[in-house]
Amino acid sequence: MSKGKILAGFLAPHPPHLVYGENPEQNEPRSEGGWEHLRWAYERARESIERLKPDVLLVHSPHWVTEQGHNFLGVDHLSGKSVDPIFPNLFRYNFELDVDVELAESCSQEARNLGLTSKIMRNPNFRVDYGTITTLHMIRPQWDIPVVGISANNSPYLLRLDEGLEEMDRLGKATRKAIEDSGRRAVLLASSTLCHYHFHVEPEIPEDMTEERPATYEGYKWDMRMIELMRAGKTPEVFELLPQFIEESFAEVKAGSLTWMYSAMGYPEIPAELHGYGTVIGTGNAVMEWDLSAS
Amino acid sequence: MSIIASFLVPSSPLTYFRSDNPPWQPTAEALQEAGRRIAEMNPDVLLVYSTTWQAVMDQLWQARKLQQGTHVDHNWFELGELSYDFQIDTELAQSCVTAATDSGIKSKPVDYDQFPIDTGTIVAMHFLNPNGKIPVVLASNNLYHDHATVAELGKVASSCATQQNKRAVAITIGELSGSFFRNEINITEDSIFKKSEDDWNRRMLDHLTKGDLKTCEKEMADYNAEARAEYGFKHLQFLLGAMGGSYHQCELLAYGPLYGKGGAVMQFTPE
Repeated sequence: MSKGKILAGFLAPHPPHLVYGENPEQNEPRSEGGWEHLRWAYERARESIERLKPDVLLVHSPHWVTEQGHNFLGVDHLSGKSVDPIFPNLFRYNFELDVDVELAESCSQEARNLGLTSKIMRNPNFRVDYGTITTLHMIRPQWDIPVVGISANNSPYLLRLDEGLEEMDRLGKATRKAIEDSGRRAVLLASSTLCHYHFHVEPEIPEDMTEERPATYEGYKWDMRMIELMRAGKTPEVFELLPQFIEESFAEVKAGSLTWMYSAMGYPEIPAELHGYGTVIGTGNAVMEWDLSAS
Repeated sequence: MSIIASFLVPSSPLTYFRSDNPPWQPTAEALQEAGRRIAEMNPDVLLVYSTTWQAVMDQLWQARKLQQGTHVDHNWFELGELSYDFQIDTELAQSCVTAATDSGIKSKPVDYDQFPIDTGTIVAMHFLNPNGKIPVVLASNNLYHDHATVAELGKVASSCATQQNKRAVAITIGELSGSFFRNEINITEDSIFKKSEDDWNRRMLDHLTKGDLKTCEKEMADYNAEARAEYGFKHLQFLLGAMGGSYHQCELLAYGPLYGKGGAVMQFTPE
C-alpha cells in the first residue's frame, strides 16, 4: 500500500448562517441570501476539493466539546436532524454522512500512543454537531466523500493555553501518522472562526447585510494581521503570535482546530491562499487553503 | 409569591446512568427524594433554568408544548441514551418572554421540531418530574448574562407564575466546582478533583444552609477563582431571584463528586 498523504488543509469556518444563506434543500429555513462573500469563498474552496479528489475529509470541530478525550466519530453512517441550539431559526439541517471508521480508529490509537486520552463514539443515535455539518456542507455539499469527525477536547480552556494547544499539536501528529499508514489521500478541515467577538442582538432580518460588519476594530485588525502572515507562509510568526491573538481577539482557534491542522501538515511554511474573508454577526471568518498536493 | 420551593440540582448524566456507583449514589438518591417531595407539593409548574442549555444572542425560552425524544450526550456518549417526555407550559413561557424583554432582557421563544433538549434538563426531568406530568417553563443560560441578570430572570418567571395563579417550584441546574478528571478513572473512587475545591464547595454550602447570603455573596469572587465554579455559580441567582432575594430555610440533601466536579442537591424554602 502506498503511503497516505495530506493533500491540503483548509481553514473552513462553520457559522450556520452560510448554510442558511445558500438555501440548500437539507436546511428547513429559507433565506434571501446573505454572506455572499464567504459563500463565494467556499465556492472557490469547493473547486479545489473537486480538483484534489481526496479519499477522506477530516474535520476538527469546536462545537463537539469533550472533557474526557480527543474523540472520533466511529459509526459507519450517521444521520439525523441537526438543529442549532443557538440559531435554530437559521439551521435545521437533515444530515447524512459516511464515516471512515477505520481511519478514525487508527487516528484514535495513534493519539493514545502519544499519551492522549482518546475514545471512539459508537452510538448510532449520536447527533453530529452543527459545526461539523456546516463545514462539511460548505466544503463538499455533495456529501460523497467519507469523513473523520474529531471532537475539540477542552484542554486549552481547562489547562494553561500552551498545555492545551500542545495536546492539539500531538493530536495533529497522530492524525498525520494514521493518514500516512492508511494510504488515504486526505484533506484536513480546521472548522474555526478567527476573532470571535460578536454582536449580542440578531437583526430582524438575519440576512440583512447592512447590519453585518466586524464587531470590534481591534479584532478585525488582528484577523488581518494573522491572515497576512498565513498568506505569506510565515508559520513561525503565526504561532509566536497565536497566544496573543487568542487573548486579545477571543479567537475561536483557541479550541485547537488550527493548531491540529498545522501540526498534521508539519507546519509548512508555504503561502496559504485566501479564498475570502467576511464577518458573521461580527465574528471574523476566513476560508483559506494550504495546498500540499504538489509536495 | 408563587414559589412553594426551590431546588439546586447538578446537570451531570452520571447519576442517570449509574446511580448505583457508590460515589454517585447519594446524589442520585437525593435527586429521587427531591422528586418525591415535588410530587407531594403538587405544583402547577416547574420553573427551570439550565446551565447546559447555552445561548449567546438572546435569552431563550422553550415554547414548544411537547418535548419527547432521546439524546446522546456529546461527552458521555458511551453510557447510552437519555430519554425525555415532558410538556412545556406554553402560556407561561410566552408570558416570560414578554416580561423578560420588557424588563430589559431581550428574549425569544423557541418552538422547533427536534430542538436539542440539553442534558441537564433531561436529567432533572428524569428525577424531578419522572412522569412528565408537571408542566415546565425552561430558560436557557445566556453565557453573557451576569448574576444580576440571572436573578432578574428568576424574578420574572416567578412574577409571571403569580400573575397566572400558578404554584411553582423553581429549579436551577448546574454544578459547583468545575475541575474534573480528564482521563479515565475508577469511578468507584471518584472524588472532588482538588481538596481546595472540595473545601470551598463545603464552605459555600455551609453559608447557604445557615442562610448567610451576605457572606456567600462576599466570597463569591474568591469561590469562582479558587474552585473554578461552574458559570461563576450564577445559576443560584435564578432561585434567589424567584424567591425574592431571600429564603426561610435551606436543606442540603446531598453533596458529592461527579467525575471530579462538585454537585449538590439542595432544597430552599421561601419566606
